[in-house]
Amino acid sequence: MICPECGLVVGDRVIDVGSEWRTFSNDKATKDPSRVGDSQNPLLSDGDLTTMIGKGTGAASFDEFGNSKYQNRRTMSSSDRAMMNAFKEITTMADRINLPRNIVDRTNNLFKQVYEQKSLKGRANDAIASACLYIACRQEGVPRTFKEICAVSRISKKEIGRCFKLILKALETSVDLITTGDFMSRFCSNLGLPKQVQMAATHIARKAVELDLVPGRSPISVAAAAIYMASQASAEKRTQKEIGDIAGVADVTIRQSYRLIYPRAPDLFPADFKFDTPVDKLPQL
Amino acid sequence: MPYDSYLHIFLPDELNQENTEQTLTEGKQGVERNHEIQGDPSRLQSVSEKNSNGICTDNFNLSNSGSNPLPTENSTLPSPENSSSSFFPLTSMTPLMPVTPVSESSGIVPQLQNIVSTVNLACKLDLKKIALHAKNAEYNPKRFAAVIMRIREPRTTALIFSSGKMVCTGAKSEELSRLAARKFARVVQKLGFPARFLDFKIQNMVGSCDVRFPIRLESLVLTHQQFSSYEPELFPGLIYRMVKPRIVLLIFVSGKVVLTGAKERSEIYEAFENIYPILKSFKKA
Repeated sequence: MICPECGLVVGDRVIDVGSEWRTFSNDKATKDPSRVGDSQNPLLSDGDLTTMIGKGTGAASFDEFGNSKYQNRRTMSSSDRAMMNAFKEITTMADRINLPRNIVDRTNNLFKQVYEQKSLKGRANDAIASACLYIACRQEGVPRTFKEICAVSRISKKEIGRCFKLILKALETSVDLITTGDFMSRFCSNLGLPKQVQMAATHIARKAVELDLVPGRSPISVAAAAIYMASQASAEKRTQKEIGDIAGVADVTIRQSYRLIYPRAPDLFPADFKFDTPVDKLPQL
Repeated sequence: MPYDSYLHIFLPDELNQENTEQTLTEGKQGVERNHEIQGDPSRLQSVSEKNSNGICTDNFNLSNSGSNPLPTENSTLPSPENSSSSFFPLTSMTPLMPVTPVSESSGIVPQLQNIVSTVNLACKLDLKKIALHAKNAEYNPKRFAAVIMRIREPRTTALIFSSGKMVCTGAKSEELSRLAARKFARVVQKLGFPARFLDFKIQNMVGSCDVRFPIRLESLVLTHQQFSSYEPELFPGLIYRMVKPRIVLLIFVSGKVVLTGAKERSEIYEAFENIYPILKSFKKA
């Protein structure tokens, strides 16, 4: 496709390589000689230019005992059977937590790189896939906690963590450190908290880290404590158990972090916050 | 001083160059030796042994104390390329050498917490007999294929395998580890096995210390990305894999540092001296 005015090539290769759509014009839905092949995925499988023998049309198609026609397709792309399996698993996992296509694509690419490198060959493919999913989420700027990935995978957090470190080593990449703000929107919307509370919690967590009130605490725990404080100061109160359930943090952990930020509570809230419960009436645990 | 008369032989300029190098290596070892002496009183004997061996090298010190200005020696002391392999002994000449100011060396000595060593008793053992007759021995063949024996004096635990090999853990110094291994071997010997004491080797040494100031781990991981791994979700400390002495350091926000993976005590000290200036630059507030 070329712009008629300046000659700029807008799009090349305008052949649609997506999967074929079905035609409903014929009665016989199986045979549709105008369409060929499955959707192409050249980036990931090796080219996928294999063909297969379709079902026989006439009576003379090796019909022994009246049942089986010509033997069904042999294993195509046997060299990457495991990789295709992993891609399927990745899509399933991502689907469970509604991850967008870009993260899934990134995960697939990471998996392909790791698989081709063969340095982690001994590890379970599912573990590598889960770790790739975790890294992809981080790289896209929307990190998921290890526990969230565990929830959609059969692999333990320990194994995912190990594979994560090995993959970073193998691919010689690094990821940014997680911050409290990365999780606010997800946790707050899962708890059904309004935007004001979410913004307040983000502010509280950021201020707490700036003032170094919570040294050495995991950002998830600090985020959970900030959400607790913000929700308790607003009309939409949430218990520590509820927040702990959503964030994957124990309620005693929230309590510990909350105790650290409680003394400076008036300084942590944003200036324009509307208190339903005033700062001095915040629960003290 | 009896060595004064040798001064005129060593004054020629051609020798100054090698004198300089030698004094510099001596200087570094002087600091290390001080560490050794502080760290382990049982080594005093070996120190005095070394004194008697290298009398003539003191003359290098004498001839150079005038010619070498203080900065030359100090600037090279913290550099890692001065290998600590050859120890030149220092006698009472040491006070005449320029004393390194405290700001150059950390003045903190890592304390050894655990030594893991192996030894071959060189005879096949009947673990059931050992477990039955020895005190403080446990043996669960279904769980683990070795006898776990403990002694009180250097408080240590040994894993004794039927092949005759033994792993000794829990000692706080190299000598104590050797002593404990000997005690275990004695126990096995008393039970009637022809135990010997072959190939005693220290496999791992763990040390810990406190730099006494809080550390900004987030900044450290940003600048030393290729060596550090900091995942608060997985572990609260930063895992620093040092390349030059191949040591792994666990660095915590509080300022406590754990060093592990050493085969020699000097590796722990060297690693700590290497990391200390880095940690100082990432001091909090």
